[in-house]
Amino acid sequence: MAGKEATVFVLDLARSMGETRHARSQSNLDWALEYVWDKITTTVATGRKTASIGVIGFRTNDTELADLIPEVEGYGHIQVLSPLKQILLSDIRSLQPQLRPSSTNSGDLLSALAVAITMLDKGTLGVRGNKLKYDRRIIIITDGTGRMDTKDLDDIVKKFNQDEKEGHKTEITLLGVDFDDPETGHKEEDKDPVKEVNEAILKDLVERCNGNFGTLAVAIKQLSIPRLKETRPIAGYKGTLTLGDSDKFESTLTIDVERYPCTMIAKPPTASSFVVRTDLSSTAGPSTQSSGTMAGDDYPIGPDGALSAVRNQRVYQVDNPDEPGAKMNVEPDDLERGFEYGRTAVHISESDANIVMLETNAGLELIGFVKEETFDRFLPMSRANFIVAQKANTQSQLALSSFIHALYEAGCYAVARLVTKEGKPPLLILLAPRIEGDQECLIDVELPFEEDMRRYKFPPLDKKLTVSGKTITEHRDLPNKDLMQAMSDYVDAMDLSGYDRDEDGEPTEYMKIEDTFSPLLHRISNIIRWRATNPTASELPPPAAILTKYSAPPADLQEQSGPQFAALKKAADVKRVPPKEKGRFKRRRQDREKPLSGLDVDALLGNPKRVKIEASNLIPTFKQALALTDDLDAIQAAADEMAGNIKELIKSSVGESGYGRALEAVRVLREELTEMEEPEMYNKFIRELKSELLGSKLNGDRREMWWKIRGSKYGLIDRKRSFASDVTEEEAADFYKG
Amino acid sequence: MADPTRDNRPGEEDEEEEELDETSYKTIKDAVLFAIDVSTTMLEQPPKSEDKKAERDSPTSAALKCAYQLMQQRIISNPHDMMGILLFGTEKTDLGDGDTTFQNCYLLADLNVPSASDVKRLRDLAEDEEEAAKLLRPADEPASIATVLFCANQIFTTKAPNFSSRRLFLVTDNDYPVKVKQDKDTAITRARDLYDLGCIIDLFPISRPGHGFDRTRFYDDLVYPSSPSDPDAPVAIPTATKIAKSGDGISLLKQLLSSINSKATPRRALFSLPLEFGAGMQIGVKGYILIKRQTHVKNCNVWVGGEKVQIATAVTSHMADDTARVVEKGEVRKAYKFGGDTITFTPEELAQIRQCFGEPVIRIIGFKPMSLLPLWANINKATFIYPSESDFVGSTRVFSALQQKLLQHKKMGLAWFIARRNAAPVIAAIIPGQEKYDDNGDQSMPPGLWIVPLPFADDMRQLPEQLGHLKATDELADSMRLIVEQLQLPKAEYDPAKYPNPDLQWFYKILQAMALEEEVPEKPDDKTVPKYRQINKRVAGNLQEFGELFEAEYQRQSGERGATAKKRAAENDADIKLPKRVKKEPASQAGGTDGMTDEEMGKLAEKGGVSKLNIPVLKGFLKDRGENTSGKKMDLVDRVQQYLESKGL
Repeated sequence: MAGKEATVFVLDLARSMGETRHARSQSNLDWALEYVWDKITTTVATGRKTASIGVIGFRTNDTELADLIPEVEGYGHIQVLSPLKQILLSDIRSLQPQLRPSSTNSGDLLSALAVAITMLDKGTLGVRGNKLKYDRRIIIITDGTGRMDTKDLDDIVKKFNQDEKEGHKTEITLLGVDFDDPETGHKEEDKDPVKEVNEAILKDLVERCNGNFGTLAVAIKQLSIPRLKETRPIAGYKGTLTLGDSDKFESTLTIDVERYPCTMIAKPPTASSFVVRTDLSSTAGPSTQSSGTMAGDDYPIGPDGALSAVRNQRVYQVDNPDEPGAKMNVEPDDLERGFEYGRTAVHISESDANIVMLETNAGLELIGFVKEETFDRFLPMSRANFIVAQKANTQSQLALSSFIHALYEAGCYAVARLVTKEGKPPLLILLAPRIEGDQECLIDVELPFEEDMRRYKFPPLDKKLTVSGKTITEHRDLPNKDLMQAMSDYVDAMDLSGYDRDEDGEPTEYMKIEDTFSPLLHRISNIIRWRATNPTASELPPPAAILTKYSAPPADLQEQSGPQFAALKKAADVKRVPPKEKGRFKRRRQDREKPLSGLDVDALLGNPKRVKIEASNLIPTFKQALALTDDLDAIQAAADEMAGNIKELIKSSVGESGYGRALEAVRVLREELTEMEEPEMYNKFIRELKSELLGSKLNGDRREMWWKIRGSKYGLIDRKRSFASDVTEEEAADFYKG
Repeated sequence: MADPTRDNRPGEEDEEEEELDETSYKTIKDAVLFAIDVSTTMLEQPPKSEDKKAERDSPTSAALKCAYQLMQQRIISNPHDMMGILLFGTEKTDLGDGDTTFQNCYLLADLNVPSASDVKRLRDLAEDEEEAAKLLRPADEPASIATVLFCANQIFTTKAPNFSSRRLFLVTDNDYPVKVKQDKDTAITRARDLYDLGCIIDLFPISRPGHGFDRTRFYDDLVYPSSPSDPDAPVAIPTATKIAKSGDGISLLKQLLSSINSKATPRRALFSLPLEFGAGMQIGVKGYILIKRQTHVKNCNVWVGGEKVQIATAVTSHMADDTARVVEKGEVRKAYKFGGDTITFTPEELAQIRQCFGEPVIRIIGFKPMSLLPLWANINKATFIYPSESDFVGSTRVFSALQQKLLQHKKMGLAWFIARRNAAPVIAAIIPGQEKYDDNGDQSMPPGLWIVPLPFADDMRQLPEQLGHLKATDELADSMRLIVEQLQLPKAEYDPAKYPNPDLQWFYKILQAMALEEEVPEKPDDKTVPKYRQINKRVAGNLQEFGELFEAEYQRQSGERGATAKKRAAENDADIKLPKRVKKEPASQAGGTDGMTDEEMGKLAEKGGVSKLNIPVLKGFLKDRGENTSGKKMDLVDRVQQYLESKGL
């Protein structure tokens, strides 16, 4: 958790800020606001009550000092737009219309700065009037063209320096619109002489206050680099790293260590569930104030679209012993703890609760060592952790350092058993040394147990084995020499390890981990913040370029390796499989899947013309009947028989007993008729079935069966699924309703 | 590439908001029916022998033991999958409840999620020879294989109608189980019915001394090369289904177990994606999860209000917070909380936000040496990929060339990886996996490539600051290095097969004992506990040496730096427990959350004030004393009181 923060924005809202300069597409103020809104919405998104923001405009039409400073003399055209407080979405809404260029150019930046200082001072006091520990910041944005009264300049500097000495530093940042920047070499042509003088004054002021003086252009460019959230490290394990059992043996090794996260996936913000409120007459709850953040027709803007949170309610059900196939609700009081062993419920009373738990003691114990070079890098199955010596324990530090160096020099990893807390299940972890400059630590990752490995077998890739056990080395599935060479050249040509250039122009690794940013995380948080300040825009902006930078090989590397790529493509000779020929004619008899021996089963049976659909062998006989014919009437007849059988299954079902079979038959019917390009046959059936199910025409209440069909999405076949269908996607979706 | 024509099976639909991963993988429901041949030859006992390694089981009993083991294993690994056991060729005919439709077929366990009684029955049969002899009596005439297949058809149709994976495991030693061609044709038809139904026949043939098993005589006409649910999944090595030779070095049971284990879980691709080398060149690959943390079932609620204990299922409904009105799923909107309010997007916009990074793909960005992939660059398990010819002809050879090149030159690919629509894009390392064999010549690691997702800058945490700057000298490091080298694991490799998860094993051992109402075992068998005796034997001397060096160096370094060396508690030089952990004495000063002494707490307890303390204080107190701090407040209070009692307060 970060400490308390207070930030005051001092914004130049002069008429001159409304100008559009240097061939930019937006006015100076709109340009500046990009920066301001980014900063404000980033703070709002954290939801922190302890991050407060104030906004002061200067060179405004009106004057409003919010009782911060008594005299109005010299403080004209300065307006407190928002007091120092936690900014909410509603504040953003009310600030937006106020941040417009005024019709004046008068107003003094330095006076506004004084107001900002007062605002910060007053806003960060404790109840007893003492100064609290705060990160205080003032951010000034100006085009530097206004008049300034510089007689109090030294007093301001003194105040800043005094505060800093007392440990209450205020960090001042001044961003100038088109100020000269010796670092990037930017120099504004035909600069206004007043501006030139002002720039010098402001630069001197900010530097004497140990602040940051920069240009807006640079600041906005930096916005595109995603900010990383810092997290305070919290140890997941504090205990000992041991070798041997010190209770039983004399010579053992014990080092006090702590384990901290090294990698941890940063998750994008998650959306919560809401429903549109239906009781708009009642008083609005806290979550319902102006949710006018929605663009689009379906979602009315303003309080009409107010949302209400969704709460989950749970009921517990068991099979009703008196009524087979039915469920009944039971009281939570009659429930106790248990486990499933297969389909048997094993009841474990509260007092026995620990019986299934393995008794363990916290500890990190070394099991043995493995060679780094033969370790399979794909085995680790978790995020990584740091293991360091206990804080301020110099003995442990020296001992762990010895261990780290020993592993490093031996080229070994350690395998260890970790129990993070008493009673927790043991984990096997791999310990690797990491020495970087002055920093030393162990890295650990979790290893799989026997049960975690799925032993699927796959054919070899470098040879072919025949059924008779012979080994073949030339085959269309095996690369020939040309392909091997072309692949080798291509891989070497696309090497990234020295592709980038560092600050000194030396080759360096491209796509380092520290240069890659989580695309979805930043995409979602960016777009939420964007929507907060652009509630009515209809087009979403594309993702920031930096987020897609690594989605394709760098263009010039691709160009460089063009010949190798062309050679690879030629040697590979990969061909796309044409989309399957669909339709009823696809099912020619010779295309039917054959057994391993390649036997033609139909021929064996004397190529029958008709297959009778049997209720006891429904699905196979239905499929076989369809396979034998492309005659529409025969298909219809088969489908009708299938439909009759499905209804019979439902009718004779005791409770839900026959629903599974019926559902499977529906699935097969739907799939086969889609493939035969006869969607209408199925659609007619399913419409009928729906009405019969809901109309209780199949021997009682069969709504549960309809819900199963709906849940499996076996509804109408729409145009997307089959070209031959005249059912639109909306129609198909509507079919599930009701 | 999503196949738009593939039908959704119940519970397998893509969750729109799903973050990533194996949801669709997990929900594939699998039903396995074991069909075990009971014939005179299958029941033949191996010759008695003193040799411990000699064969002990008849083929049928080996098959039953396999089934028993598989059932136990599946309860752990696939608790919701079904399994059944059908004996055929038996004198008795019974398909449950006296059903005698299928001659000489005996349904030992109906196709269902196994229950404790199924396990018990099977174990009795596998372990108690007398019990087994009663049932395992062959009929005069062998059962017709067509009957067995149709019987399986009926069992699958009625018991597991909409399971996406249905498999018949056929264990037999008879490679021509018919007398006339007519019977063979019927069997072929029945096998095709099964195929059309969507069921797979997995044959586990057994050969006898002097009588091999020739699949081409009969079974190659019955078994289909691919599964109807996943037509282009690579078929395992054709020779992999080993013909187990009785009386050979490795026992029949072991061989059968090994081949059945490789099919224990139905293999199904997690994704099928293009692997893109550059503009206009893609190959097809499929992803498989080969490594996945297996955990035990969560505890559930059982209903004890009736005669029989029943599992209660929770049904969740959505309710509007303000009016308690029940809400349909379709009404629910997603919104982001922001600044005390909500920010909403239309569903189309939400899709656009997530999908703006393009179609699912594995796109190669370039290559780097493997040495640039540090161990810490890990956030999750790796996914295995293997080529598939179904979308691009020639995929296999290109994939093979890439795998071989990366292996030879110790390189890796870097890729932009979107596993499926709506999945977050990641940057991944593509590393080669070499095919490995175990001592029996069985494949222990498949050949292919692995996708290792890499952390982003956002996922990296800082190393906590270190105080003090004591560093090992070369001398110390060398001394410790000797210890490291003395304690190498076999072959200096980590072999997961050697370490069953002790927690998981213990949990199911106890649960099984309780379910079968048996004695609960007392001591767990935990293979992860280090071999202390061996460690002592191998490195006691080295440790002592290191201890002496360490002591001297520590004195030197800490002396130099003017630090006050803590006096070690150990007087004996041989005892080199280095930094003896000093239990923190409870701070005596009042105030501060972690400052309560035993005495203060004791006094409070007398007044009954412990339960008035808040949770952080209780946790802090317990934590300082090395006690467990988990659980609800009442647990914490109890634990504090127990602690005080143990201190006599």
